[in-house]
Amino acid sequence: MHRYPRWPIHLALIGVSFVMLIPFYWVLKTSVTGENIFAYPPSILPKAPHPFYYVDVWYYIPFARYFLNSVVVSALAVVANVIFNAMAGYSLTRDFRAKPFVLLLFLSCMMVPFQATIIPAYLITGKLGLLDSYWGLALPQCSTIVCIFVFKASFDAVPRSLIDAARIDGLSEWRIIWKIMMPLAKGAIATNVILGFIWSWNNFLWPLIVTRSAEMQTLPLGLARFLSYQEDTTGALYAFCIMVLAPGILLFLLAQKEFIRGLTSGATKG
Amino acid sequence: MAVASAVAHRPSRLTRKRTRQAVLIWCFLAPSLAIFLLYRIIPLLWNVVLSFSYWSPLRAMRWAGLDQYEDMVHDDVFWQSLWNTLIFIASAPVAIVIALGLALLVSSEIRGRDVYRTIIFISYPLMTVAVAIIWRWLFDERVGLINYVARSLHLVDQPIQFLNSFVWALPSVIVANIWQMLGFYMIVLLTGLQNIPPNLYEAAAIDGANAWRRFRRITLPLLKPSLFLCVVIGMLNSFTSFDLVYVMTGGGPGRATELLVTYIYKLGFSQTRFDYASAVTIVFFLLLVSIAWMANRLSGGEAGAVERD
Amino acid sequence: MSDQDGVTPLWRKIIVNRFVLVPATIAVAIVLWNLYVSTHDHGVVAGRVVDADGRPVAGATVVLWVLNFTTYVEKTRATTDSAGRFVITDNDSHNIRLAAEKPGIGRSARVPVRLYFRAQDVELREALMLSGAS
Repeated sequence: MHRYPRWPIHLALIGVSFVMLIPFYWVLKTSVTGENIFAYPPSILPKAPHPFYYVDVWYYIPFARYFLNSVVVSALAVVANVIFNAMAGYSLTRDFRAKPFVLLLFLSCMMVPFQATIIPAYLITGKLGLLDSYWGLALPQCSTIVCIFVFKASFDAVPRSLIDAARIDGLSEWRIIWKIMMPLAKGAIATNVILGFIWSWNNFLWPLIVTRSAEMQTLPLGLARFLSYQEDTTGALYAFCIMVLAPGILLFLLAQKEFIRGLTSGATKG
Repeated sequence: MAVASAVAHRPSRLTRKRTRQAVLIWCFLAPSLAIFLLYRIIPLLWNVVLSFSYWSPLRAMRWAGLDQYEDMVHDDVFWQSLWNTLIFIASAPVAIVIALGLALLVSSEIRGRDVYRTIIFISYPLMTVAVAIIWRWLFDERVGLINYVARSLHLVDQPIQFLNSFVWALPSVIVANIWQMLGFYMIVLLTGLQNIPPNLYEAAAIDGANAWRRFRRITLPLLKPSLFLCVVIGMLNSFTSFDLVYVMTGGGPGRATELLVTYIYKLGFSQTRFDYASAVTIVFFLLLVSIAWMANRLSGGEAGAVERD
Repeated sequence: MSDQDGVTPLWRKIIVNRFVLVPATIAVAIVLWNLYVSTHDHGVVAGRVVDADGRPVAGATVVLWVLNFTTYVEKTRATTDSAGRFVITDNDSHNIRLAAEKPGIGRSARVPVRLYFRAQDVELREALMLSGAS
């Protein structure tokens, strides 16, 4: 077997990792020292770090309120997502007359990006009276095609004989789903939860359109508004960045495998 | 008599069960269908209707024919945003090539490749608003890190005003976008690479093919579906990069970084010109569909199947 | 119910699962932090005033400024006792400044004090030093 030296690969990858991690380090450094806002040349290591910019951010903006809003909206979206997508995925494993039409409908919905629908979606949400509310924020995100197909693939993998045996035993549809399908679809549920949560957590455009009052804003909105208030004059903006990024990074590190599996499996359209 | 009645009962019980099952299936489909109907299909159709009318929230709708589209043709901002969007889309293949190199490196048998994979991928699930703020500051002309490095290496004498110059603003946004998307492309390509059976490589090596020929003849063709997926997602992402542009430059100095999607937002929610914004949205959507279709044709349409002998 | 074959019992599997361990640790840390805050937030700011030679100054006036958006406004004053100590009891901010002065001896610089939470009880480590003529 032809062996080639390993160290150039390591060198290249370390270089790339450096480039990918430098922005994090730089922001972290500025959030604890407040330098590099006006000083030039910038210093590489933090001098006299202190955590007080984080305290400033906590009190200056209603961080707890924004965090709560984000959490509530994401939780609503994720719970609705799992329920609706599992139901839709299950029904796609059965044969019925209109099935090709429904499949076509779903696939074509995948081609319509959210950005192409913002204006009518805003008008519809207004007509429903849901502007500036948790449900209005969560509703468009309550079902995604990618996750429907993830569930469908996972339900398709359940051996037919198992379902037939259960039917012969006289179990009703509901019990079949609850007792047999769902436990075997744990991976799909985990994927749906992770993907749905991250998409909802990071969503910026829809809350920007739908929220009117300051107390219904979510974290990304709060961050963008903070930028326009404070400009770059203190380390507080970067402390806010770190506070906003930390939950996302933590969740990603915890659930890496599910996240990556969800992206790669869901992306190959069912 | 009893037999006849028994035969007469059975079919209706079966159809009752069938209709019950059909009702169940439609009930299960109903919530998702309702959401997609409400937030994808109806908005798309509403956009079409709006683009052919004059409408403001205070007045009734009037038929406008092609007037909105005619305004669009004469609108310089529209053409500028279209051009910017096309440049943005063209940057996706660059990122994919880099990601392919990274995927090849990471997929080789080295220690700690999971660590490298995590480090490179971590930028993707982050909040784009935060990423935009970070990169906006890295590109800052007074204290940004990039200017500092450029000046330390004596590449330039004066700091470059990246986000304020008509020439450098869009490339800066593109660089930030590539930084964020690189991990995603790499993961998709890694999965594709791992699906290539190694015995193909061994057979080719025995037949005397060197590394480059193995790459060209085995890796690339079998990676076609993954590459196609990356291209489609990359184009979709460039099309819809609202967060990054809005926070980093707000449309740029003048309209240098205005994308179609930010222009639509401004038209609808700053200028309240819903009807004209709908027309731009329709053009935006048609462009997206045609690009996806072209990419599908170029990739051959067939998901690469592995020929096993 | 633990299995005799050595398979990990169910309760241990649930606890060691990272999706339980991490949120539980975070929740415990939050509870402990809130406990600490609620027992230390009386708004007491205490310190000493000395003159340029290090001797305690009695009867000096100490002024407390609190941060109001971007500027500091004066909130309250206190006077040092015979040992040069002062105690302010109604601080409700997280970002304050203190300055002391005594006519005839001098005034101190404005010392910024940043706290971890609003109305944190704090004892200044360095004394406010008066210098210069009034």
